[in-house]
Amino acid sequence: MPETVIQTRKLTKEYVREDYHVFALKEADIEIGRGEFVALMGPSGSGKSTLLHCIAAMDRPTSGEILVLGQDLSSLNERDIAHWRNVHIGFIFQSFNLIPVLSALENVELPLNLTALKKQERREHARNALELVGLGDRLHNLPRQLSGGQEQRVAIARAIVTDPDLILADEPTGNLDAASAQEVLNMLSRLNKEFGKTIVMVTHDPHAARFASKIRYLEKGELLPDGRTPADWNLPAAEATSG
Amino acid sequence: MRIPFSYNIRNLVVRKTTTIMTALGIALTVAVLLSVLALVNGLQTSLRSSGDPKRILVMRKGATAELTSGVTRQAFQDLKFKPGIARDSAGQPLASLEIVTVINLPSVDSEAGMNVTTRGLLQPGIEIRNLKLAEGRWFESGRRELVVGKGIAARYPDARLGGTLKFGKGEWTVVGVVDAGTGPINSEILGDLNQVAGDLNRMEGLSAMWLVAEDEITAKSLINSINDDVKLTAQAKSEVEYLEAQTSSAAPIQFIGIFVSLIMAVGSSFAAMNTMYAAVSRRAREVGTLRVLGFSKGSILTSFFLESLVLALVGGVLGCLLALPLNGLTTGVGNNLTFSEIAFNFRVGPDTMATGIVFALVMGALGGLFPARSAARKEILTALREI
Amino acid sequence: MIRHIPLIFKNAIRNRRRTLLTVASIAASFALLGTLAAMYRALFWSDPVPGQELRLMTRHRVSLTQSMPASYEQKIRAVPGVQAVSIVNWFGGTYKDEQRDRSNMFARFSTDPANFFEVRPDVKIAEDQKQAFLRNRRGAIAGKTLAAKKGWRIGERINLTGDIWPVNLELELVGTYEEATDDESLYFHHEYIRESFPQRSARRDLVGLFWIRVDSADSVPRVSKAIDTMFENSPAQTRTESELAFGLAFAAFLGNIKLFLAAICGAIVFTILLVTANTVAMSVRERKREVGILKTLGYTPSAVLSIILGEAAVISVLGGALGLFLAMVLAAGIRQGPAVFQQLKQVYITPTVALAGIAAALLIGVASSFTPAWNASRTPILTALRATD
Ligand SMILES: Nc1ncnc2c1ncn2[C@@H]1O[C@H](COP(=O)(O)OP(=O)(O)OP(=O)(O)O)[C@@H](O)[C@H]1O
Ligand SMILES: [Mg+2]
Repeated sequence: MPETVIQTRKLTKEYVREDYHVFALKEADIEIGRGEFVALMGPSGSGKSTLLHCIAAMDRPTSGEILVLGQDLSSLNERDIAHWRNVHIGFIFQSFNLIPVLSALENVELPLNLTALKKQERREHARNALELVGLGDRLHNLPRQLSGGQEQRVAIARAIVTDPDLILADEPTGNLDAASAQEVLNMLSRLNKEFGKTIVMVTHDPHAARFASKIRYLEKGELLPDGRTPADWNLPAAEATSG
Repeated sequence: MRIPFSYNIRNLVVRKTTTIMTALGIALTVAVLLSVLALVNGLQTSLRSSGDPKRILVMRKGATAELTSGVTRQAFQDLKFKPGIARDSAGQPLASLEIVTVINLPSVDSEAGMNVTTRGLLQPGIEIRNLKLAEGRWFESGRRELVVGKGIAARYPDARLGGTLKFGKGEWTVVGVVDAGTGPINSEILGDLNQVAGDLNRMEGLSAMWLVAEDEITAKSLINSINDDVKLTAQAKSEVEYLEAQTSSAAPIQFIGIFVSLIMAVGSSFAAMNTMYAAVSRRAREVGTLRVLGFSKGSILTSFFLESLVLALVGGVLGCLLALPLNGLTTGVGNNLTFSEIAFNFRVGPDTMATGIVFALVMGALGGLFPARSAARKEILTALREI
Repeated sequence: MIRHIPLIFKNAIRNRRRTLLTVASIAASFALLGTLAAMYRALFWSDPVPGQELRLMTRHRVSLTQSMPASYEQKIRAVPGVQAVSIVNWFGGTYKDEQRDRSNMFARFSTDPANFFEVRPDVKIAEDQKQAFLRNRRGAIAGKTLAAKKGWRIGERINLTGDIWPVNLELELVGTYEEATDDESLYFHHEYIRESFPQRSARRDLVGLFWIRVDSADSVPRVSKAIDTMFENSPAQTRTESELAFGLAFAAFLGNIKLFLAAICGAIVFTILLVTANTVAMSVRERKREVGILKTLGYTPSAVLSIILGEAAVISVLGGALGLFLAMVLAAGIRQGPAVFQQLKQVYITPTVALAGIAAALLIGVASSFTPAWNASRTPILTALRATD
């Protein structure tokens, strides 16, 4: 068993309003080891994003424990969490979320601005990251001058530029055509295999899930036991894990 | 087809922070303009309302103000018996020989003190101006006694009833306060002609003569006959004409004020333009939808333009409210002809406020026109595609 | 902070039209603010021009319009520390038609030329013209600017109609002078006025002002006190003050200028606050989502705060700088305009005024955007990411 990087115990997130009470996450226990590539699947509203947000400390659970890279996230204040996230987490969104006024290079450089690196080094790192995702020739393009797939690759470069231990992706291929999706998935797979990055990816796409080493399912906020799929899930779990 | 007006109102309410901030900017601009207008208006009202066409001022030829004028006692003797001058109950002509000077009084507003017109006059001078005492009594001839205008009593601690002022050859006691409405006497200090002239060593060097004609028509011929009298070397003017010339005292302040509010208005229209452009781009989709529903370009232009006007109107009204407390407040400006201070009240009248509102609407129109045009010009599909 | 500058700049010019309008709006306000500040400085804070700190003015205590015996001159001269004394009279009067041509309203003074040049050694005039002026009792000298404005040449006949001094003068221009504070006045012999009065006239020997030069700036308070004390018990009491303070008394005459300027500046500053706040609020609202992205990348709330505040500061400083530039133009216009009072010739956007202006712009930018910036920086990541507008 490799070193555990993510461990949750009875992780619960509930939303309570006057006329509304929902468990976005209900007593979820999950353990993810270093170097794993886990896909999170489940119907819409089942709590996949919520779990991912809790891992990235972008959201605070209502109750339960969460340990990421040995760090108890509930013990950190806002400032330290920001710093921690900068160092350890790379986050990839479905809608890329690049800053429209910054060039590809500047977007990738953004997280490095918070480090002690000198301007020259920051440029160098950002350039390397972009070359790694195959965009060495698009450094100075603005996001709107790039295709969706290219935009997402810039976002990946931005997520890995600080060399984080953990890469979290929320439906990274959701907005892409098949070919672009394939490129992005290849890249994640490479990051996992060649660079040993731990990856947690939320996806609706069984094809995408096949790139993962493990698939976990959520249903109505509950994390199903390893290997179990939701009742009305029409996709054989075995097929997914085999890929 | 017109887009319902309530649509604009609702949009302004939804973006209430922006609406309020933009409107407040316009309001401040309007308030600056209104304060200046209120000042000028107050001065004009004060000077105009008190002028009587029957009252005539006689000064040395070429003099523009009593202070810089000079007349002799001999001239007064010659003038006094000209036909057409009204007479008092005792049959004496209503004509007064007067000396005008300024003295410096310590003031609440200014360390260096302010200059106040001080006038020595003959008995008929009181009746000529229909002066009524508000407090105390009239000065007696041969004594250092003074009566002060209400505006003076209010603004200068030393010049209250019972106070003493030091000028000329001794101390003068304030024995009365006169209520001259908004007239210039309101900002003056009055004393007995011979006492004042004696104290100033100017028994011969007197300033001007005042008289009252029997009626307005006689006034005109009286003025002409004085002006044509070569022996007198004097020049007569009706009080109305004389006071009118003094309204230019506020010209520097009026000039600066209007200049400032115009530039501020430029700034405020830019701000309004910003707000309206934001409104247009926020509602780009709505504009597209409205167009699909069949509203014309013209009605979209009108709608956004109206919205800008409403925004400015809110600002204009706020500006009026901001300026309103000034109404009635007493202030003073240096009179450029008399070298002394005229006290008067700010006047924020309906006409002033209407000017303010129009000013605001102009800002709104300038700020709204281009954004409204750009909204109307959007192609339906582009509009729908924009976020 | 420095690392965020590229982002701050790019954010500032993101919505170019809005930034332009905002900058223009702020610039308009700052053009005014700068001009008014320069006016305030010229009136109340200006340093004396070299030599000016040595000069005093003695006037009638009661008011400028009252005269003092000419004999005071000798007594003032005897006060220790006094180097030179000259009488000066504000003549008033009219030259040609003032209603139609405002440029006919220039200042005119009668003086005693020999003493005048003693008190004002700084007045530059050609030696032959100076001698001509001293000799010719009907001679007059005019400031270079005034002469240029009126198109006068040496030998020009200048006829003045008196009012305060009821005499008519027929002067001849014999020279032009230059000096630092005011070269738009006309000076001529007081003797000419004096002899126009009949022998027995009391006004023959009355004068309006005494202009004094003392030996050092340190003597100023002592000398002015000594003079005023000397005439304490005379019928015409005096008030002696520095030339600078004397000029201010003139300005005070237009009303409560300090309050007037302060009130207008207050309104302008508040307008700028509103305009900047509005712009920042609009741009923050549109970019809430980006705040979420930055935070996801590890930006702390305070980093986000400083980025937004920085953007506001950039815009308002840009507007401020542009406005101050416009203010320089306006100030030049004021200096060209009619000299309502002498200090208006000193309205300059000095480095101090400019610096204070830029500092004010910075402060206004930060202050106005603080609320929206603070709120944005405190928005939880997920709320920010979910924002659509
Ligand atoms: N801020 C919120 N307030 C109220 N309910 C919320 C909030 N955020 C999420 N939820 C609810 O929590 C539940 C889980 O949401 P979550 O976004 O994790 O689902 P998801 O599995 O990512 O769905 P999808 O596949 O559609 O992205 C949903 O029922 C959602 O309605
Ligand atoms: Mg989701």
